[in-house]
Amino acid sequence: MVIMTKVIEAENLSKTFRVKRKEKGMRGSIQAIFHPRTEEIRAVDNVSFDVEEGEILAFIGPNGAGKSTTIKMLTGILYPDGGGIKVLGIDPSKGRRQLAYKIGTVFGQKEQLWTHLTPYDNFRFFGAIYDIPDGEAEARIRELSETFELGEFINTPVRNLSLGQRIRCEIVASLIHRPQILFLDEPTIGLDPVVKENIRSLIKKMNRELHTTIFLTSHDIGDIEKLCKRIIIVNSGQVVLDDSMEHLKYHYLNKKIVELKLQEEALLPSAEGITVLKKKGGRVKMEVDTTVIKINDALRQIDAEHVEDINISNIPLENIIMEIYNTKADRS
Amino acid sequence: MKKYAVIYRSVLMENLQYTVNIVMSFISYFIFIFVFIHLWNYMYDSPGETIAGYTKTQMIWYVIITEMIWFAARTATVTRQVTSDIRGGNIAYLINKPYHYTFYILSRYTGEWNIRLPIFAGLAVIAGTIMVGGLPDFRAVTLLASLPCIILGITIHGVFKLCISLMSFWIEDSNPFQWLYDKLILVVGTIFPIEIFPASLQPLFKLTPIYTVCYGPSKLIVDFSPEKWVEIIVAQLIYLAAGCGFMLFIYSKGVKKLYVNGG
Repeated sequence: MVIMTKVIEAENLSKTFRVKRKEKGMRGSIQAIFHPRTEEIRAVDNVSFDVEEGEILAFIGPNGAGKSTTIKMLTGILYPDGGGIKVLGIDPSKGRRQLAYKIGTVFGQKEQLWTHLTPYDNFRFFGAIYDIPDGEAEARIRELSETFELGEFINTPVRNLSLGQRIRCEIVASLIHRPQILFLDEPTIGLDPVVKENIRSLIKKMNRELHTTIFLTSHDIGDIEKLCKRIIIVNSGQVVLDDSMEHLKYHYLNKKIVELKLQEEALLPSAEGITVLKKKGGRVKMEVDTTVIKINDALRQIDAEHVEDINISNIPLENIIMEIYNTKADRS
Repeated sequence: MKKYAVIYRSVLMENLQYTVNIVMSFISYFIFIFVFIHLWNYMYDSPGETIAGYTKTQMIWYVIITEMIWFAARTATVTRQVTSDIRGGNIAYLINKPYHYTFYILSRYTGEWNIRLPIFAGLAVIAGTIMVGGLPDFRAVTLLASLPCIILGITIHGVFKLCISLMSFWIEDSNPFQWLYDKLILVVGTIFPIEIFPASLQPLFKLTPIYTVCYGPSKLIVDFSPEKWVEIIVAQLIYLAAGCGFMLFIYSKGVKKLYVNGG
């Protein structure tokens, strides 16, 4: 029997922010001087979950759902108002610096690298910051630059790198001290599909070879589908769903959106599992339920001779979240 | 300690690429000094005259040195950078590393002024020697003894500026306080030595950072005495310890109030 170790334990985690409020217009601005008004926003509300060693977990939700606030509490950046956290047995708000040696963070929208230095100088810098002896740091840089294929640009100043190259370097900088958990906050934001795919396979490789636990937030459903085995969805600061990816796929990711640009005289496909959502002139948007009809069978229903353009996509993550959220709200 | 040395070295490496910009910023320093040389030439009637115990040459060299310290220590790292880190939320990505944020900022600041000071010092000595001639009775040992005071003065300045910036944890904009502090240091102790001001105010000035930042080191270079050296260095060490204690205190209180925009 394999005993799994819990590396993250969050129990009834809460965080409230006090935000200034002002009435509109000049009158409101003057009023705000004499009667400043603030409002409490509950960013995280009684959130509880565990993460096991070696897991790749997706922690997702719409903007303002509380995901980044949760990550920041888990990494010791923000202090929770209530509840308890243990990350690798450490309370992050009490042992932030001790914890920093054991975790790594990549925030896709923020740079941690020094842009005027080369990736190599940056890695040496982070090696020293994490008290890694010079020889060991050198070996680690060699190993990681091979894994992440940085050879071509390791000596080019970071400011001259492409976004994809920079993100690879950001991840390497976060791995230099062999963290047991890596927090990735939208690591593929702004990247083109080819680079996204490349980053995803590197994350998978890292998890497989280094056994690093990955805590991922992303708005990109591709990241979540391709990387994660478990998913936690948060909305309005609360956990809406904590389930396996397999289960979520079966229930929610079984629908595809097919958008067609047809010639006027084309016939609309009709079969069980195909629902036309919108039709305007030659433009048709339909939903295909892949549990009823396979996507290739659905495509065969289309009058191919009259198709000018076609686009197949997943249902937007936001829609799935809203659907899950509404279902939960209806049940309660 | 090694990690702060690495931060310092990285800033040096980064800033070495901007030495031309630093040399260019000497133009505004030169204009400032040029105006003050003419002002003091006008104020002093005869070459032998003294004002507040300073000869004309001493007075001009005093301003050259205080301004050199002032310009060398003028970086956004301890001011705008910290304020924008706190207000914009970027601090979140700096405090999750195994170093102390305040010492990280001070290491960066030190790396920056360590490049600026030698450049400004070299150019200031050349400009000063050409325009007013050398300092009478100046000995190399005076410079050696004054060097720790210059280093401590610039460090104290950085610590106090950082303390003001850390107020951004509570207030929207710490710039008005920076402005007040800057003007106080600039008028009292940088442009004019403390001795120019009424005798009743001088003991009060000696209790402020003014005494330790610009006035002390410059006074030692233009008019060195061992007693003065001991007095200034003791005052600087007390100020540095108190300033660092205050800095760590407000940081520890402020970081708990951190609100990061966008989560």
